[in-house]
Amino acid sequence: MTPRPARIQLFATCLVDQFVPAAGHAAAEVLERCGVEVHVPPDQTCCGQPAFNAGFADDAAAMARATIDALSRSDDPVVVPSGSCADMIVNHYPELLAGDATYGPKAKALAARTYEFSQFLVDVLGVDLPAAPAGPTLAYHASCHGLRGLGLREQPRRLLRAVAGARCTDLPDAETCCGFGGLFAVKMGPLSGAMLDAKLDAIERSGADLVVATDVSCLMHIGGGLHRRASRVRTRHIAEVLAGPDHD
Amino acid sequence: MTDAALAFHRRIDAALADVRLRQALALTTGRLAGGRTAAFAGLADSEACRDDARRARARAIARLDSSLDQFATAASARGCTIHWAETAADARQIISGIARERGIRLAVKSKSMATEEVELNEALEHAGVRVVETDLGEFVVQLGGDRPSHIITPIIHRSRQDVAALFREKLGATAEDVADIPAMTALARRVLRAEFLQAGMGISGVNLAVAETGSICIVTNEGNGRLTTTLPRVHVALLGLERLVPTAADLAAVLTVLARSATGQASSVYTNVITGPRRRSGGPGGPQAGDPDGPDELHIVILDNGRSRLLGTALSEILYCVRCGACLNACPVYRLVGGHAYGGVYPGPVGSVVMPGLHGVEAWAELAHASSLCGACRDVCPVKIDLPHLLLAVRREAAAKRLAPVWIRAAMPVYAAVATRPRLYRWAGRAAARLARVLQHDGWIRRLPGPLAAWTASRDFPAPAARSFVEEHQARKAAER
Amino acid sequence: MTTPRERILASIRGGLLRASLPADGDGRPGRHDDAPAAPAVREMAEQFTAALTALSGHVHRASGTESVADLIAGIARDRQAASCISWDDGPLGCAGLLAALASRGLTRVTYDVSGDPERRLLDAASLAGVGLGVTGAHAALADTGGLVLVSGPGRGRLVSVLPPVHVAVVEERRLRPSLAALLREEPDLLDAGSNVVIVAGPSRTADIEMTLTHGVHGPKHVHVILVA
Repeated sequence: MTPRPARIQLFATCLVDQFVPAAGHAAAEVLERCGVEVHVPPDQTCCGQPAFNAGFADDAAAMARATIDALSRSDDPVVVPSGSCADMIVNHYPELLAGDATYGPKAKALAARTYEFSQFLVDVLGVDLPAAPAGPTLAYHASCHGLRGLGLREQPRRLLRAVAGARCTDLPDAETCCGFGGLFAVKMGPLSGAMLDAKLDAIERSGADLVVATDVSCLMHIGGGLHRRASRVRTRHIAEVLAGPDHD
Repeated sequence: MTDAALAFHRRIDAALADVRLRQALALTTGRLAGGRTAAFAGLADSEACRDDARRARARAIARLDSSLDQFATAASARGCTIHWAETAADARQIISGIARERGIRLAVKSKSMATEEVELNEALEHAGVRVVETDLGEFVVQLGGDRPSHIITPIIHRSRQDVAALFREKLGATAEDVADIPAMTALARRVLRAEFLQAGMGISGVNLAVAETGSICIVTNEGNGRLTTTLPRVHVALLGLERLVPTAADLAAVLTVLARSATGQASSVYTNVITGPRRRSGGPGGPQAGDPDGPDELHIVILDNGRSRLLGTALSEILYCVRCGACLNACPVYRLVGGHAYGGVYPGPVGSVVMPGLHGVEAWAELAHASSLCGACRDVCPVKIDLPHLLLAVRREAAAKRLAPVWIRAAMPVYAAVATRPRLYRWAGRAAARLARVLQHDGWIRRLPGPLAAWTASRDFPAPAARSFVEEHQARKAAER
Repeated sequence: MTTPRERILASIRGGLLRASLPADGDGRPGRHDDAPAAPAVREMAEQFTAALTALSGHVHRASGTESVADLIAGIARDRQAASCISWDDGPLGCAGLLAALASRGLTRVTYDVSGDPERRLLDAASLAGVGLGVTGAHAALADTGGLVLVSGPGRGRLVSVLPPVHVAVVEERRLRPSLAALLREEPDLLDAGSNVVIVAGPSRTADIEMTLTHGVHGPKHVHVILVA
């Protein structure tokens, strides 16, 4: 296990920043409670994943360079409350900038010290979070990029078990894609909608009060579907659940 | 959008609306995927097995010219006639020629995606050869005049009633003949047995070819692969030039994962390794008769049809594929729409790379966009092909060729320009939040404008936050000081 | 003037120069070249039996020609098979078996599908009524319940695929843990015959509505007699 860092940089991600800032605030609070100082680089924007996934490599590379600059003013580890954005930085930045003599090495260096939020808590800090008192039931959806790109199989579940105990279970078909897929949600709307329907049906079957995941991208898509169905089920980012009832 | 892309979207819509198809897909892919999971759980060292299989394929592809040359030389030395087909048309011509020269009027076929790819059956029919598919699913496809919808189980799209109706109409089957699935299977066995016995030519594909011995391996569960390659006097095998492994030990390594990935079986029922045509007298058995049965002639037609060109592109890793179908069964998109929606011979994740790879992004790139890049396919590939990586490579080629929709081509540089300028990004975020306030109600937007309306067709869109995380965090920190 | 072979190989060479192949095709042999210790015959027999039984095949134990012949005659009666096709005595690996079967009333039909097409067609058709095929086996694979059959003089391919019932007589000492293990021991196995087939249980399909059915084109019933 890497030595316990005193300070981290929080890369909020564009969706957290613009749509679910509560997840960012919760992540910062949980990290501070674990004794880590949280710095938020002010010039962070977007990791460039949507451009990368659309096949626009040059545009994605431009955003990657800007993100690398924003996160490389210090060597502190970077914590990202999003599996897909962390996956982008860790697994795709080095390959995207492999031909760049300046940013290629910087991309590798950044990738080596970037973690998804739950991954950081479990694998780097080794935290034991206290169990929360009784609360709503939670169903866990395993966001794809974090799961398969970063191997985030155990970490989010472990944290949720510690905090929520038996109140948190996996959704049926927890590891099946919700159908967000970035631009896929718009380009292939009917497919995305059909995959969402399957996920919403699973949520109904679970009977849970809240759906929790590591990625707000999934949660915006799932939440949008739940709201369209006038469902009473709400969505929560894992950081919000770990931060406690004040964040509900 | 190109015409091809539009047609693809329409086929998707039709498939999504087909309730019966969706049920059948859920059943079949669920069973096959579940079988695969159980079969791999039964292996003591499943990751190592996949690594071994990958290495076997990688070694052949890394030196494909010498592997293929070695294969052809070894096969010739053992009595095979080797033909080289640069294009689909060449393959059709070569095989029709073999039939015509020998006055063959009837050919039986065991399942081969490569023969579908080159559209062989039609060409043979034109050459006066009646062609009979003998794999039960392909037999039904042939009777029905449509196409397979899955590369392993071809008739997911057909109910038992569909099959019964086809058998009654095309084979003159009685009600008793089609009373249930065993009866229908027995009928097919009888009908096809007669064809096997009469056919002058047997046509097969090749699952894997072994370079060191010039052997071809054909894998089936029904036994039609054995009869096709044993009864007729002439056996023609169509081999995609990338389907090689270097040695017999490599063959075993791939076989360990092949059936497990395809159907969840530890082994297919018949793993048929053929090394040359039947052997004549004078072998180790002495001067008396050689093999009592087997074809007199074995023709191996090596097919390029774009594979060697694909080898030189960013998509070359797809040539490791052993056509097991596991990626189809794992793909949430394939599981919803099935094979026909993809519109080509190869569907699913592998097809979304192979079709543009062999036939160009202009007509086929849209397939690679019908994916959320979830990665389920990569998890189940027996040779660990990084399919999402290859799908992205197709998307990059399509974007470079200006095939992306106009609004995306217009928006992308704007988005990049904003996201690389932090102050402009902050301003744009605040502006968007103010604009959204107009559209939203109770924190949700029910209708987004323009192409974004595709989102709100099936779900609401959350309104942006009043204040961004970064700005709020900065404000709180400032207040603390 | 180049040939198609030359053009295809040249195209491949050109492709390899530009190919984006992952770095792992480095020529090292796979881990499958390591040889773990072979399990005992008894353990393999049990594993083989479990695997083949799970596939709806049947495994019997016998020792000596007479008991083997009794078993086969019993199977023939159960399946209403009056005649059989079979491998020659030598390849069956069971001395005098054919005579023992004949004395139990099982007629052996011989066939010859070589020669002119007319003759070939007739002979093949005459096999239609044969209810049973009897073979030996080169090896039996414990991990999959598979039989390795090598074609050759006195070892016809059709014997194990045409009739609805296939009986294979295999010496226990021919059990091997897996195909990989067998190939380590016999690296030239694929060259031993024009056809080396691994048969794992009866013919099957699930093409119609994922419903499993046996006996599509190959045998519906597979019996293996393990001889001590």
